[in-house]
Amino acid sequence: MTISSDTVNLYTKAIGGGESPDYGDSQAPLILVAVALTKLIDELGLFSGGLQTIHAGQEVSWTRPVKIGEKIYARGKLSGNSVRGNNRFVTVKVSYNDETRTKVGSSSSTIIVNTEHS
Amino acid sequence: MTHSIGDKLSGFKREITQERVNSYAEASGDHNPIHLDAAYAASTQFGTRIAHGMLSLALVTEMLAIDFPKTWHSGGNLKVRFSAPVISGETVKIYGEITDITKTNLGLIATCSIGCKKPDGTNAVVGQATVPLE
Repeated sequence: MTISSDTVNLYTKAIGGGESPDYGDSQAPLILVAVALTKLIDELGLFSGGLQTIHAGQEVSWTRPVKIGEKIYARGKLSGNSVRGNNRFVTVKVSYNDETRTKVGSSSSTIIVNTEHS
Repeated sequence: MTHSIGDKLSGFKREITQERVNSYAEASGDHNPIHLDAAYAASTQFGTRIAHGMLSLALVTEMLAIDFPKTWHSGGNLKVRFSAPVISGETVKIYGEITDITKTNLGLIATCSIGCKKPDGTNAVVGQATVPLE
């Protein structure tokens, strides 16, 4: 995936304030994590059919800044899937690599799906 | 810049307007109606539109980028839980503190408690970050 300058501008509009840092030609790593997570959760069907989902936990590690427009490969895997009561707990781990296949970051997201509405 | 255990991070307050939530939805692609659709959100357990948890977390990482401008994006880690929703229109407080500094074979690593508090003082996001020091 590639994060365009338009997406970065929208992200800055959402997050930014007067004291926001200037990232120069790089992007905040959390944009990549957010976009990858949305795509992966969509692929898992967790946004479909009126399912109520809650983001419960997040881990992020980053090795180097990623430039705006740089191509990054996000590879996700479902690393946890369990049911407790009326809730399903889903954990999605993602590895982010550049075009040389060098790892630039990783993330782990825990999502709760209310199974009463599934 | 010299860092010490007990140092407070810069922190700030920011209003999470629905406009910000809408922009974040566009940027992330996360158009879950619980964030965007007032009628749908009214039918959920929250009863109203809530901000993306990642939006609140993004504010926390902005603080880390301010306090550790050269190293947060090059070796930073964080682990948080989203403990309460931020309601659209609420002003949140982003905070952090250095709780430990450890010497490793990669250099000095600062451990920070981090979080995002709602107007009533409850944590919306709470966790820990580790950041290499310059």
